[in-house]
Parts: sequence; structure tokens; C-alpha cells
Amino acid sequence: MNGRLEKLEERRETPTYLVLLFLLLLLVMGIVLPKGARSLVTHMMIFCILAMGYDVCFGLTNQCSLGHAVFFGGGAYGVVLSMLHLKVGILPAIFFSLGAGLVLAVIMGLICVRLSEAYFVIITAIFFAVFHLFAMDLTWLTGGDDGLSLKLPSISLGPVNLSLYHPMVNYYFVLTFLAFSYLILNRIVRSPMGKIFVSIRENEKRLQFLGYDVFRYKLMAFIVSGIFSALSGGLYALTLRYGSADFFSFHWSIMPIVWCLIGGLGTLAGPWIGVIIMSLFQYYVSAWWTYYLILFGIIILMILRISRKGILGYLISRRFT
Amino acid sequence: MPEILTTILFLLVNGLIWGLIVALIAIGLSLIFGVMGIVNMAHGDIYMAGAVLSFYVTGLLGSFWLSLILVPAVVFLASAPMERFVLRPYEGHHSSTMIATVGISFIIQQAVLGTYGGIPKKIINPWPISFNFLGVNYPGYRFLVAFISILILVGLWLFLYKTSYGILVRASMQDREMASAMGIDVNKVLITTFVIGSVLAALGGVLAAPINQVFYLMGNDVILLSFIVVIIGGLGSLKGTLIAALSLCSLEGVLASVLSPVQARAAIFIVMIIVLIRRPRGLFTE
Repeated sequence: MNGRLEKLEERRETPTYLVLLFLLLLLVMGIVLPKGARSLVTHMMIFCILAMGYDVCFGLTNQCSLGHAVFFGGGAYGVVLSMLHLKVGILPAIFFSLGAGLVLAVIMGLICVRLSEAYFVIITAIFFAVFHLFAMDLTWLTGGDDGLSLKLPSISLGPVNLSLYHPMVNYYFVLTFLAFSYLILNRIVRSPMGKIFVSIRENEKRLQFLGYDVFRYKLMAFIVSGIFSALSGGLYALTLRYGSADFFSFHWSIMPIVWCLIGGLGTLAGPWIGVIIMSLFQYYVSAWWTYYLILFGIIILMILRISRKGILGYLISRRFT
Repeated sequence: MPEILTTILFLLVNGLIWGLIVALIAIGLSLIFGVMGIVNMAHGDIYMAGAVLSFYVTGLLGSFWLSLILVPAVVFLASAPMERFVLRPYEGHHSSTMIATVGISFIIQQAVLGTYGGIPKKIINPWPISFNFLGVNYPGYRFLVAFISILILVGLWLFLYKTSYGILVRASMQDREMASAMGIDVNKVLITTFVIGSVLAALGGVLAAPINQVFYLMGNDVILLSFIVVIIGGLGSLKGTLIAALSLCSLEGVLASVLSPVQARAAIFIVMIIVLIRRPRGLFTE
């Protein structure tokens, strides 16, 4: 009896060894891959961090936010502005981006998380739209549509100097962050706090009756999610070596939802599958058809219709039942 | 009268007239949410589609006024199957409807971009008469817009509160399950509501087309404003939505005289945050 209950609880989590194997594969691929494919994979890994961050919010606690572009853009500008104006190195700049994510997530979370589902969706969407307007308007700060470009100093680790201008270094730099993000988030998901997050998804009312402060845990999930989204934005700005108002665009709000829905909500590593599929889709289809967003809309409608479990969620539920 | 006062009054009237158009759109949004539980992210794009269609009607048939009849008919024919065959499975799940309507919004925007093109175009003012209003030459078309919007709003009110079908809609709004149990054909009410909401948005688009530029992304700005209006007025509260639309748009109009448009929008946003903290369910809901 006890064993069965545990299995039911674990149902949506990805087996860790599979993910570690995949990370190992990525480690080898960095050397093998040709140049163009390597940069595509680098971008995908950055998106994977955003997807995992979003999964904490939507997949674990069932808070469907349309405002994650704010964190993504905030993280990017955390890196860009701190490097331009404070002349800090790359690693401190990433801390600035995490800080930006934290501050934005706390402000937005305190206002939005308490509200009911419909209000939450709408208010996060309004937050995104207003921040996007500001990013476009305040050109003296953000550079607007043209953006601000960066000169990257090298990272010195003891005797070695690493320059992110080298694509291979950039690849492994991002991979390191991806691995650490996964390990940290995996730890959170499997901790007692993670169990509470999942319970919020499954039955929020019941948890309230049991005496948990649901608001606090939802806010916590929202903030964790915001911080990792900001990290992703910061890494993206470093990889592209610039930041523009585009980092606040709707793309970064809607893509995480699609990744998570395709890959599997609440599976943490499942959205990686979504990232891979959607990135390849965009890479090939956008070159072939200008109005590929029509197909994108149809895909959104279809995934929602077929199943909310996603690919990995489906595989895992097959294995355990 | 001192010049500053005239300017402010002028902006206030401008804001009020824009507020009437926004009220049409936002009431459609609020109605659709209230009855069906759909957070309609594609509502702004239906507004845009209304404007684009009226551009085509004006170009092909030579008369802007025909589009006031033809565009609602087209939107009626398009939105009824959209509700029945596309949106029906998601209704009631707020986040799912939101994601699904984002998909629909992409489809509409790209379809318009592909056919109409990405360049903003203007419809020639269909009623080039100006009135002398407070010593300023005020375009008569705007007064006409106000008049038509008020007519539509009164018509909607008569429909909802004075006809027997309106009672069914309001009953479904209050308690869908109970309404269904009382023998109301809820499916029909759902389609009707969605069509009414969409037609209101499209009419807003038609009326706004000669005032604003017709552009395939013009819905994005309006959907933001309507959501703010609906949040302040209270989701699903039609009276609240109307009052919020009029007051917010005139406030924004007056603020735009001293601030830049983005700063005025930010001010509205701050008003919304304050309302939300004090009254999390909007100003006009019990």
C-alpha cells in the first residue's frame, strides 16, 4: 500500500539518471558538433533553463503566468546594465541578473499570487505588456529596439583565462549553468517543499484545510521560477552579446508555456523535449514559410486539445501504471 | 474661457469618445468571461479584424457605412463556429482558454499580415464635417462615433434586461449549471454570447478605423487597455466595465496633455495596481 502511494506521488518526476545521461551526452556533443549546430544547441540549453524555471510555476503549482518575459528581460538587462555602467565581470553580472529576477518576482508575486486564476493570468499579462512598453520607450536606459551591445571581459579561473567569444567556451559555460540549475531545481522538487508545491497543483483547497499557508508556498514557487527565468535571460544576453527591448517581447512569455505543454508539465526535464522540438520547428519552418506563426497557433490549439500531460508525462505515466 | 481649460475639455471629450469605443470592446470581453469563463486574448485581434474588414469594404464597395452592417455579419459567421468547434473544449479552465486564444490570436494576426500587409493604412474620414465646439473645429465624425456607440450600448442593455433571451444569458452568467438544470439550452446561450462579444469588438474596430490607423498589431494596444478596464471594473460586471472604460480613458486623455503616452499608460497601470490591492475583485463587484 505504502509503496503504491509513493509511486503515485513520484509519477510526474523524471528519473534523475536519465537526465544526467543526457547532460553527459551534451558534454560530449560540445566537441563533436559542427559550428552552426553547436550555437543552436547553446541557445536550446539557455531556453531549457527558462523552461525549467517556468515549469516550477506552471507545472508544479499550477500558476499559469504570462509575465515571464518580464523576468527574462529583467535578467538580460541585469547583465547588460551592470556590465556597461558598473564595469563588473561576467560572474558578478550574472548575480546582478539573478538579483533583478528576484526583485521583479517579489514585486509581481506579492501583487498577483494572491488572486484567483483568471485574475492571475490577466494581471501577469498586463505586467508583461507594461514592461514591454517601458522597455521600448525608455531608450536612454534600454536602447529600445536597437539595444545595447556588450564587450565581454574574459573570466579568469586561477591560471586559465576563458573568453566567451570562443563558441566552445560559451557552450560549456552555458552547459555548466544548465547542469547546476537542474540539480538545484531537482533538489527543490524532491524536498518537502516540492511536495507541497505539487499538492497545491493537485488540490489547493485541501492544503488550505490542512493548515498550510498556500499563499506563501505559491509565492515561493513564483520567485524561484522568476530567478531561473532571469538567469536564462542573462545567459542569453551574454551569448548574443547584446540586450534589447526584444527580450521583453511576448515571445518569451508564450514560448515557456508551449515548451512545458509539449514536454510535460511538472516533469522538470520534460520541457527540454519541448524546447528541442520547438527550436527545430522554428529553425526550419520559419526559413520555409514567413507566416509560420499560423502553424504555431494551430500547434498550441492541438496540444491543448490532445493532452496536458505532454510527451514525457505520457511516457512516465505509462511506466508506472 | 482661458486656453488651458479649453484644451483640457477638448482632451476630456476626446478621451470620453475613445472611452465609448473601448467600452464596447471591454464589455464584450467581460460578457464572454462572465458567461463562458474564457479569458479571450484574441479579443483585440477581433477588433483589429473589424477595422481591416471595414478597410476592405470601404475600398471594394466605396462606402464606409456599409461596413457597419457587413462587418458584424462576417464576424458573426466566423465567430459562431470558432466558439463551437475550437473553444468549446477549453471553456471554464481559465488558463487553458487563455493559451488557446493566444493561439487563435497568432492565427488571425498572421492571416491579416499575409493578406492585408504590414503597413499601417488610413481610411478617409467618411463624414468630413466639423463643428465649432468651444471655439475649436471639432471633427463631426467623432460625435457620430459617440452617438453610434451609445446606440449600440443601449441596444445591448435592452437585449440583456428587457428581452426574454437576455434573461437566459444573465441566468447563465450567474449560475451555468443551475440554468442548464432549469431547461435552458446553455449551448445556444454560449454561442450567442460569444457572437455578441465578438461583434461588439468588431464594431469597435469599424468605428475606430477612421480615427486610428489600421494596422495588423493595432489589437495589442486595445487588448491591454480593455484588460485593465475589465480588472478595475470587475471581471464579469458590465456596469463596472462601462464606468471604468469611460473614466480611465478620459483620465488617460487628460494625462496625455502633460505626460508622454507611455507615461499616461503607466499612470493607468498604477491606478489598476492600487485598485487591485484595495479591492482584489474590482470596484463594482459585490
